[in-house]
Amino acid sequence: MSQQEAGTPDTEAPTARGGSYVSTPIIMATVRVVMPFVFTFGLFVMFHGADSSGGGFQGGVIVGTVVLMLGIAFGIEATREWIGPRIPVVLVGIGMLAFLFTGIGSVLLGAGFLDYSVYADIGVPKASKYGIEFVELAIGVIVAGIVTGLFFAIAAGVEEGESA
Amino acid sequence: MTPLELALLALVIGAAVATAALRSVLSSVVAFGAYSLGIAIIWVFLRAPDVGLTEAAVGAGIMTVLFLLTIVKTEHPDVERTFERLDLRAAGVAVALVLVLSTTLFALPAVGDADSAVADDDVTEYYLDNAYEETQVNNAVTAVLAAYRGFDTMGEAAVVYSAGVGLLVVLNREVFG
Repeated sequence: MSQQEAGTPDTEAPTARGGSYVSTPIIMATVRVVMPFVFTFGLFVMFHGADSSGGGFQGGVIVGTVVLMLGIAFGIEATREWIGPRIPVVLVGIGMLAFLFTGIGSVLLGAGFLDYSVYADIGVPKASKYGIEFVELAIGVIVAGIVTGLFFAIAAGVEEGESA
Repeated sequence: MTPLELALLALVIGAAVATAALRSVLSSVVAFGAYSLGIAIIWVFLRAPDVGLTEAAVGAGIMTVLFLLTIVKTEHPDVERTFERLDLRAAGVAVALVLVLSTTLFALPAVGDADSAVADDDVTEYYLDNAYEETQVNNAVTAVLAAYRGFDTMGEAAVVYSAGVGLLVVLNREVFG
């Protein structure tokens, strides 16, 4: 996200009754610093759900939070236009299809539905472990897409209502 | 019960009562966030870190943000009173329900009890004994969720998917249509 986009919300300054957010350099700088760590932590929770506590649902929410932080820091409208209305829905669909095809794929290879170990036949190392982590990742993509989509859908209603 | 657990319990119950009793919606949302955070810590105390992580991320994190976004548009009346007027009949029903449910508490096994029905169940034993060899993941919770009951989890993901997409379609139509 460029500096120019970051500056746009300043022009449409917060309304008298203190709009939904106030854009300040402190929040922008903090989000810039914290964002990569939060994103990494979200991915950590998703991937390491297999070996420690965590999993796709929790990790997905944390990854989705990164986009929320962007929205709060750099202006919800600007971020919403940058993301567009389709990407969250597309992500959610991709995640669901990835989960489904993981299950159907193992049936095609001659085992039961979601029987990960069969993927070793086509050369996936530690098939069961990586199969589970792939599925967790798919769940994470679904949840992250829903969280960001909901956030911007609700926020858009807010902005629209205030200007109308 | 340790003092720490007692303090947690007091925090959770206090936050729950505050959520119901506070007059300003904004204060209610904040109290509800505190309640979720307390519940998340209680899950960790009960040795369910997976559930605790979910509660912290979803309950205390995302839900609070979504609630706050939702009430931004609502009117904030000038409140003279901090608390709602107590509805005695509703409070009576709530207290009675809590009392009735509390009678079942004594039938529950202690936390971490080795003789509880869950701990010595055949299915539990099987998962704990075989999870690593059969699924190669160290976290038995994940093994059950994604491997042994993967179909179930796919159903959950499908519920999240359909509920979310439905909401997004409706909300986007509200906004743009």
